[in-house]
Amino acid sequence: MAAGFPSPADDYIDVGIDLNEVLIRHPSSTFFLRVSGDSMVEAGIQDGDLLVVDRSLEARPGQVVVAVLDGAFTLKRLARHRGRLRLEAANSAYPPLELHQCGDVQIWGVAIHVIHPLGRHG
Amino acid sequence: MADALALIDANNFYASCEQAFDPALIGRPVVVLSNNDGCVVSRSSEARRLGIGMGKPYFQIAEQLARHGVVVRSSNYALYGDMSQRLMSSLEPFVAELEVYSIDEAFARLPRPQHGELRSWATELRSRIRHNLGIPIAIGLAPSKVLAKLANRVAKGDRRHAGVFDLGLEPSHDPWLEQTPVEELWGVGRQLNRWCRLRGIANARQLRDMASGELRAKAGVVGLRLQLELQGVSCLPLEEGPSAKRETCVSRSFSRTIADELELRQAVASYVVRAAEKLRRQRQRSGRLTVFARTSPFSPGFYSQAASAALPLASNDTAVLLQAALPLVALIYKPQKRFAKAGVLLQELQGEEQLQQHLLAPLSDEQQQRRETLLHNIDQLNRRYGSGTVQWAACGLQPSWTMRRGQLSRAATTRLGDLPTAWAR
Repeated sequence: MAAGFPSPADDYIDVGIDLNEVLIRHPSSTFFLRVSGDSMVEAGIQDGDLLVVDRSLEARPGQVVVAVLDGAFTLKRLARHRGRLRLEAANSAYPPLELHQCGDVQIWGVAIHVIHPLGRHG
Repeated sequence: MADALALIDANNFYASCEQAFDPALIGRPVVVLSNNDGCVVSRSSEARRLGIGMGKPYFQIAEQLARHGVVVRSSNYALYGDMSQRLMSSLEPFVAELEVYSIDEAFARLPRPQHGELRSWATELRSRIRHNLGIPIAIGLAPSKVLAKLANRVAKGDRRHAGVFDLGLEPSHDPWLEQTPVEELWGVGRQLNRWCRLRGIANARQLRDMASGELRAKAGVVGLRLQLELQGVSCLPLEEGPSAKRETCVSRSFSRTIADELELRQAVASYVVRAAEKLRRQRQRSGRLTVFARTSPFSPGFYSQAASAALPLASNDTAVLLQAALPLVALIYKPQKRFAKAGVLLQELQGEEQLQQHLLAPLSDEQQQRRETLLHNIDQLNRRYGSGTVQWAACGLQPSWTMRRGQLSRAATTRLGDLPTAWAR
């Protein structure tokens, strides 16, 4: 290592922008999932997108959630409708699911970001 | 009030990880097999209830598993390792001090509040981990580590405790110590157990109350500490942070047995390559190297042999370690034996900075620098483009004996191509 005077910029060195910090608040409980299907397109979530899911959050109406339905991770929006909770798609082609009618539904996590590539690059 | 010590561990950790990332497995019996799909190392509670035994060789119970519709998985260390780190860092904010003891258990110290009650703390921690990671845990609380381990067994053993047991709040420890056989105590080895049994000491209460002079004569300070811990006097401190490792081991079972010396050499060479990579990552060098191999304990004529060599100068250079290891293969190889497993143990590890220039060092400082740059570059390439991108010729090309993991799930939390699917349908 060369000796000499310290650079005047040394005190101002920044570490750069880390997308993990931008997208993830609770690293130990945050997971990535891959979206398949078009039932959430009106929420801006498209087939093949990368989903950032935080399991530590309590799901609230209005949030996009990952629910366990029939042994699969299913993406829906949690909504309150006439005083009852239900799972809605963000695509009019898919009907909503009333939670009190489908027996065993578990909310696995809350989707907090979606990463969507804009066309093909590189 | 004195601090409380907790032993926190995951129930059926491997099986729980499998269930957490494959919702089709929720509520179904799942077993996870050891390396090379050898035997059952983890059972979901559903599999346990079916009476599937722990440690049973897979080939013996494959039919039973199929009959009960049990889901079988190979060990997915990428997933379990990542989930273990998540588990430990989730525990951290809940305790004053944490000692990660193994992949799925940790000791913790925390202050006991004025009213003494810690059940609500434990219940909250338990439901938080369950919610955030999908992993069930059990918590044992007591005044010492040995008793915390015992309390954890009680917490898991009886459903009525709902995964939490606080020995510190019990009016008397006696009934709990009496129901714990000596050999199930943490820190009691086979030898001490046999010695206790010969003296009619069968349970933890008897060990706690025996004459300490006699115990000291047999087991020294270690025995005295064990007795004090059983009396509720904490004398084993928590070890924070990973202590520098004193040895490192790479060993694997083969997918098929190996009878050929060249193939055994190639297998050992590939383990040396892995072990050397590990050392360089840990910034350590090794002063002694042991190579071992064995046949299957399930077939007749069991054979197991090891050979060891000291290195003239501690090293983490793959070429130097290979040079020491390969001649040892000839010493342990035996014709007509079908080897099922082999491994390499690197011992007498020391930090890189401790290395003193050897008077008879084979390389000059400058040559040494160049070697290190080369090895560093190889490690970088293998890390970036996948292990095996740059290979050592001694390992052979396209070996056919690599580990069998026929029912491996995906690296759901660590590999972009393996992410679980969120269905939008």
